Amino acid sequence: MKISRKAYPVRTLGTALLVTAALTTLVTGNVLAKPVRSDKQVAEERSALMAAVAKGDGLWHDGKLGSNGLACGNCHPDGSATNPHTFPKYQSNLGRVGTLREMINWCITVPMQGKPLAYDSAEMVAMEAYATFAHRGVAIAPAKDEQHGAVPVFGGPGYPQP
Amino acid sequence: MQKISRRQFLGYSMKTGAATLFTGILAPSASSFFGYGGVAAAATKKITPFTFAVLTDAHLYDIADHKFDKFLEKAVADVNSLNPLPDLLLYAGDIGQSGKEAELKKGKKILDKLKMPYKVIPGEHDYYLDMGAAWRGLFGDEHWSIDHKGVHIIGMNSILVPDFWSMAGLTPKERMGRMEELECHRCGLWGVGDKQLEWLEKDVKKLSPDTPVVIMTHSPLWSYYPRWNFQTYDAPEILSTLSKFEKVIAIHGHVHQVVYNQMGNVTSAGLLSTSWPWPYPPVDLPYPAIKMNRVDPGDFEDGLGSHQVSLGGDFAGEINYRAFSDLLPENVRRGVKL
Ligand code: HEC
Ligand SMILES: [Fe+2]
Ligand SMILES: [Fe+2]
Repeated sequence: MKISRKAYPVRTLGTALLVTAALTTLVTGNVLAKPVRSDKQVAEERSALMAAVAKGDGLWHDGKLGSNGLACGNCHPDGSATNPHTFPKYQSNLGRVGTLREMINWCITVPMQGKPLAYDSAEMVAMEAYATFAHRGVAIAPAKDEQHGAVPVFGGPGYPQP
Repeated sequence: MQKISRRQFLGYSMKTGAATLFTGILAPSASSFFGYGGVAAAATKKITPFTFAVLTDAHLYDIADHKFDKFLEKAVADVNSLNPLPDLLLYAGDIGQSGKEAELKKGKKILDKLKMPYKVIPGEHDYYLDMGAAWRGLFGDEHWSIDHKGVHIIGMNSILVPDFWSMAGLTPKERMGRMEELECHRCGLWGVGDKQLEWLEKDVKKLSPDTPVVIMTHSPLWSYYPRWNFQTYDAPEILSTLSKFEKVIAIHGHVHQVVYNQMGNVTSAGLLSTSWPWPYPPVDLPYPAIKMNRVDPGDFEDGLGSHQVSLGGDFAGEINYRAFSDLLPENVRRGVKL
């Protein structure tokens, strides 16, 4: 179930169990900004993220973003060498500090000769989700000069599982 | 021929007078003197020195005037311009992108401009639309061997995966689409399969152990990064069959990068594509000094290239990566010993 930002604190504060949990945490010294979420909510949020990653995975391997048949996956298998953990950083092709999204659009328009995505589109969020999820656990290091091989996103026979 | 260690080799070649001494024994190109690599096993039966060229992974699309067409054309022109002209060219697979006959035909038309004979093996991108039917129609057998100036040259199809499509009810186009993804979810690991293993066994049976052998496969004969099929699952069987030889040179496509390894009597080198380069997978390289630089995504030719392999009289080999752009660290640019 989707919970709006407004409904969220009201609903959770009404749950006696969660209030107790929050108080316990306060007493033990861990200050929480918000009450603890239920396992169900956590699972729902996780599956919303995975849906975005899956959508990104689809776009990543879809030549339709470009006009010459190429897809991101041709050159960036598993999202490798997109280095999301190094952004924002100076991009010589932009001549200034740029973001991951700008670099995604640059690769769509230059090597793939396609049309850029709107920065706030669901597609762009999905692309970013896929690349970033493929680098989960990698330390954030803006401007780090690194070509990172990615962490595999999905498993398969003989392959490491997520 | 007496074995020359890497250390002795450098020692000799630094003495000016020694240069002439080596010209005859090693390869015809001057860069041979600066070869870099592990210490390859020395061979074997004397051969007539010669050079051959290698190209791979053009990934041609069925789109008119596609940029990849020009890169393959450029590589063919480069090979044709070599002096001495290579005796033959080996092509290590992935001529097409989606296995379409039109892609393969386009590739053949460009390769037919070569001034020397050429031999081809299939890559996964050539194959999984019609299980190699169009490819075989144009290029012949998927595995073969030839003898040239005393060297036994073998080509094998290493991209055979167990059937993942029948149960899933995939159409040929869907099957090809899955295989087109390097990180194909659930396509499985590939290899040459039992029939080709038997064929190989027979093919080399009568050859004496001092016969110089070159083997070309699409994928590496060592377990590099299985997730991207940078492997051949039955490579251990292949290596075991070839273990009787004093020295084997293995070359492979598929990885779109400079990579090097040694497995006992076998020296292995990966090749540059003429389409796009791949970043190194997240594993340690067995020979970390033999690699290429990061690629400039704004330079479409960066990461691509052709190759010249020189074989000396004692089967001392060297591969020269002929990158289109400034891609190679100095040590690799000088040539890698095989
Ligand atoms: C024809 C090959 C090619 C295609 C297709 C391609 N890229 Fe790239 N891209 C590159 C290369 C090469 C680099 C430089 C890699 C490096 O920094 O080592 C790069 C760099 C990037 C970077 C920046 C990495 C960094 O650290 O600066 C991002 C992000 C990126 N690509 C995203 C994408 C996305 C998203 C797509 C699909 C829309 C895509 N690319 C398609 C070749 C390609
Ligand atoms: Fe390839
Ligand atoms: Fe391949």
